[in-house]
Amino acid sequence: MGNEIIQWLDNLLADVPGVGYHRKSDRRIRMDVSSETLPTLLELLRGRASYVHLSAITCVDWIKDGEFELVYHLWSYENNTLVSVHTRLPRSPGVYLSVYDIYHPAAFFERDIHEMFGLYFEGSPDMEKFILTEWDGPPPMRKDFDSEAWARRKFNFQDYQPEWLTKLEEQGGGVAVRPEDLRDKIRASEADE
Amino acid sequence: MRPENYQSKNHPPSNEYELNFGPNHPGIEGNYALQLKLHGDEIVSARADGGYLHRGFEKLMENRLWIQNIALVPRICVPDPAPMELCYSLAVEEISGFDVPQRAQWIRVLQLELSRISAHLFTFGGHAATTGMYSNMYWGVADRDILLDLFEEMTGGRVYSIYNIPGGVRRDLPEGFLDRVSSTMDYIESRLPDYDNLFFTNQVFVRRAKGAGVMNQEQALEWGVTGPNLRATGLAFDVRRDDPYLVYDQLDFEIPTEEAGDAWARTLVRRHELMQSIRIVRQVVKALPDIGGPIRCPIPNPLAWNVPAGEAYSRIESSKGETCYYVVSNGGDKPYRVHVRGPSSMHAVQVLENLVTGCRIEDVAQIMFSLDACPPEVDR
Repeated sequence: MGNEIIQWLDNLLADVPGVGYHRKSDRRIRMDVSSETLPTLLELLRGRASYVHLSAITCVDWIKDGEFELVYHLWSYENNTLVSVHTRLPRSPGVYLSVYDIYHPAAFFERDIHEMFGLYFEGSPDMEKFILTEWDGPPPMRKDFDSEAWARRKFNFQDYQPEWLTKLEEQGGGVAVRPEDLRDKIRASEADE
Repeated sequence: MRPENYQSKNHPPSNEYELNFGPNHPGIEGNYALQLKLHGDEIVSARADGGYLHRGFEKLMENRLWIQNIALVPRICVPDPAPMELCYSLAVEEISGFDVPQRAQWIRVLQLELSRISAHLFTFGGHAATTGMYSNMYWGVADRDILLDLFEEMTGGRVYSIYNIPGGVRRDLPEGFLDRVSSTMDYIESRLPDYDNLFFTNQVFVRRAKGAGVMNQEQALEWGVTGPNLRATGLAFDVRRDDPYLVYDQLDFEIPTEEAGDAWARTLVRRHELMQSIRIVRQVVKALPDIGGPIRCPIPNPLAWNVPAGEAYSRIESSKGETCYYVVSNGGDKPYRVHVRGPSSMHAVQVLENLVTGCRIEDVAQIMFSLDACPPEVDR
């Protein structure tokens, strides 16, 4: 069955230029396409190849390359294979096409990506905020957003120093070792060996 | 949204009014809200309003070591936490190329199925309570407590076990544990006739739930519904059988389906699934003593653990549907990106809005519980 699907998909993908095709395992296929061909490919996969279930859309922020990577995970109830379609697009201006017309579940994921990464999807039915309703900062899932710095700037910290904590610290208690320090120690000891 | 900031966006006609259903409402699961527009007691339109349980897990995970995230992930779904930690571990294993020992895989199946049973008991209770039958809720929660005792003995944690790590499980089963699992399964099974009499064949439930929140198979596929909600529309799809992970391909179980696609069918599918889970647990209990060997493969020092660069999409069946993790590593000691795809992100937003529209106010809570929506998965 496995080889049949590969052959059949190969024939199918002959129609679409520039599709990078890689079979990761029995039921996992990876495809890399340009952002222009992605909607066409999805339409093909849904209409002619029975990939009717959009499992998820993931956005990855590759800040060093100045690009967003979008991954569309599609499942076929007939072939029992999962196709992950990867595409990359520039971080600015951060606009892309919605695939809501092809896959209705895309509405939720596109709304979520818009909220978290600031990537706008043209043609998506609802781009209003859902989770971060009263958020006025930059999109928080971008790699250049530093949560700690934001929290320090945004909130007034209370100086919480109750008596029991002071006593504990006098006795040498409190936070023992930060994981980072411990990790550096381990690395140093491994380097010695 | 804070109440002082709430303003009606569109002025409704004089015969319609708006109602905020949640976030603190006994009829809603978790902290989640529906902004309803009503005409009399009929719902004209509904809008889901999430975010009350947003804790920023995906961002937090990017700032923590691979091993630290194990303590974080089960919190994403409170009633059914085991699939979350397993799904994360599976993705990390796939990137690292770990070969997980057989014994660990069987123990994982045991934990997953026990978790599924406890989640279903919880949901029955919730659904019964929305139709006014509180006894069933008390029973469900009390029986779930017995399973939590098992989790405590097995993993050390009652709700959040933090038991699966990439490479295997943290500790082996205690002595005599399988006997106690076996007797608990006998007990739960002996309780099912009581549940049937009290709830599943109760005319109050049957007449309320039949015909409430109907969705046909075509709609379910179009909206991306998975899990018991999809099976209640007649499609026998289960990730455990059709995209098997762990040792599910060696286990013998059936995939119960119903045709009606309403609240009654969805809850009934869960009741049949509970039987199948008991069946799987019995098979695991029978097989486990013969499967020796280690409980995890050798893993690097957890505090200096660099996962090789790569990406993986792991996919498992939780009690609510298809749970997926997309994990990207750039070779560092922390994940570069983790995307959590909770099954409820489909059926708690779009589907719920669609199903609730046109029904009456007293059925809203029932439909939400029959979908088994889990808001923390949506908000993450």
